[in-house]
Amino acid sequence: MRILSAFTLLLMSCCATHAATQQEAEAALAAARQKEAEAGKLGDRWLPAEAMLKAAQKALEDQDFDHALAAAAEAQALTERAIAQSKEQETAWHDAVIR
Amino acid sequence: MKATVLLSLIVLFGSSVDMPSDVVRALGAESSTPAADMDAFQAYFHGRFPNVKTADFANGPYAVDADMRKQWEEIMQFPPYDFAIDEGKTAFETPFTNGKTYADCFDNRGIGVRQNFPYFDTKSGEVVTLDLAINRCRIANGEKPLPYQVGMMASLTAYMAQTSNGKPFDIKIPDDPRAITAYEDGKKYFYTRRGQLGFSCSSCHVGASGHRLRGDILAPALGILASFPIYRSDWGSMGTIDRRFTSCSSQMRSQPLPPQDVSYRNLEYFLSFMSNGVPIAGPGTRP
Repeated sequence: MRILSAFTLLLMSCCATHAATQQEAEAALAAARQKEAEAGKLGDRWLPAEAMLKAAQKALEDQDFDHALAAAAEAQALTERAIAQSKEQETAWHDAVIR
Repeated sequence: MKATVLLSLIVLFGSSVDMPSDVVRALGAESSTPAADMDAFQAYFHGRFPNVKTADFANGPYAVDADMRKQWEEIMQFPPYDFAIDEGKTAFETPFTNGKTYADCFDNRGIGVRQNFPYFDTKSGEVVTLDLAINRCRIANGEKPLPYQVGMMASLTAYMAQTSNGKPFDIKIPDDPRAITAYEDGKKYFYTRRGQLGFSCSSCHVGASGHRLRGDILAPALGILASFPIYRSDWGSMGTIDRRFTSCSSQMRSQPLPPQDVSYRNLEYFLSFMSNGVPIAGPGTRP
């Protein structure tokens, strides 16, 4: 019984959801902002990414670090797709030109 | 480095080298000229809409859809932009604090000049739109600039466009490498996909022109700026070309550029040059 309780406790501690820290949320937001600036230089900022950055900033101010981390990750994923699109379009736009 | 090597090969072997298209792109060398682009552009739209005359392309979706044209003809019995023309005329003729007027800033005193905008200013090395020229006129005469998308800017450009009705777009690209660069930049902007939806201007206004996008008929790119500024029912008010460009960007879920951003001005330059020969029909109305 004692062994079973100890095992259950161990299992619970292993599987408990990791709560994001302020430091993690701030780092994620900074990384997403850096990507967003890169997308901006390429001329393709996406509105949903901008909205996610604002949501992450607000969640950070509200000390809701889980949501801040999730929103920053979403913003980063969107901006990475924006950057990929911009780089692909750097040459691909020629294919659309009326000739 | 790659481009340098390729260029050296071309110099060595002359023009007999048959370059694949990706090599042409790597060199940034488009074989076309603005004039050739315009011919191809106009031929495309005349082929796509063989029953639409050049002048009618100024009327956008109403030129290519019979049902919408009927609705438009009824709307035009009481044009919703008339108030803007009146307001613009009054403002145009009202002296600034220093006693001068807008007329002092423009060729032919600002009457019948819309078809020449935008132009490439070889002194400043940039594209100057009518809206930018209006605000520069105000600043030069000690007045504050107007907001670019709505309000008095739309009214002033409505009045000035109305004095050019029927005059064909006559956009020139001077023999200046900076003008070609501006033109090419506008062309690139027009054909480049952007935003989360991955649409370019051409996605809607070339290949899909004349088709429905939800409740709208997509206007052909040829002549698309000839009726600006417009009263748009969707907006419930007048709007300038800047308003249309920024709302198009938002619809593609792309962060719009600031009004009169260099890229928007170059885009206007490209589109207006492509529409040379299409008469000014502004102000206009759209759904």
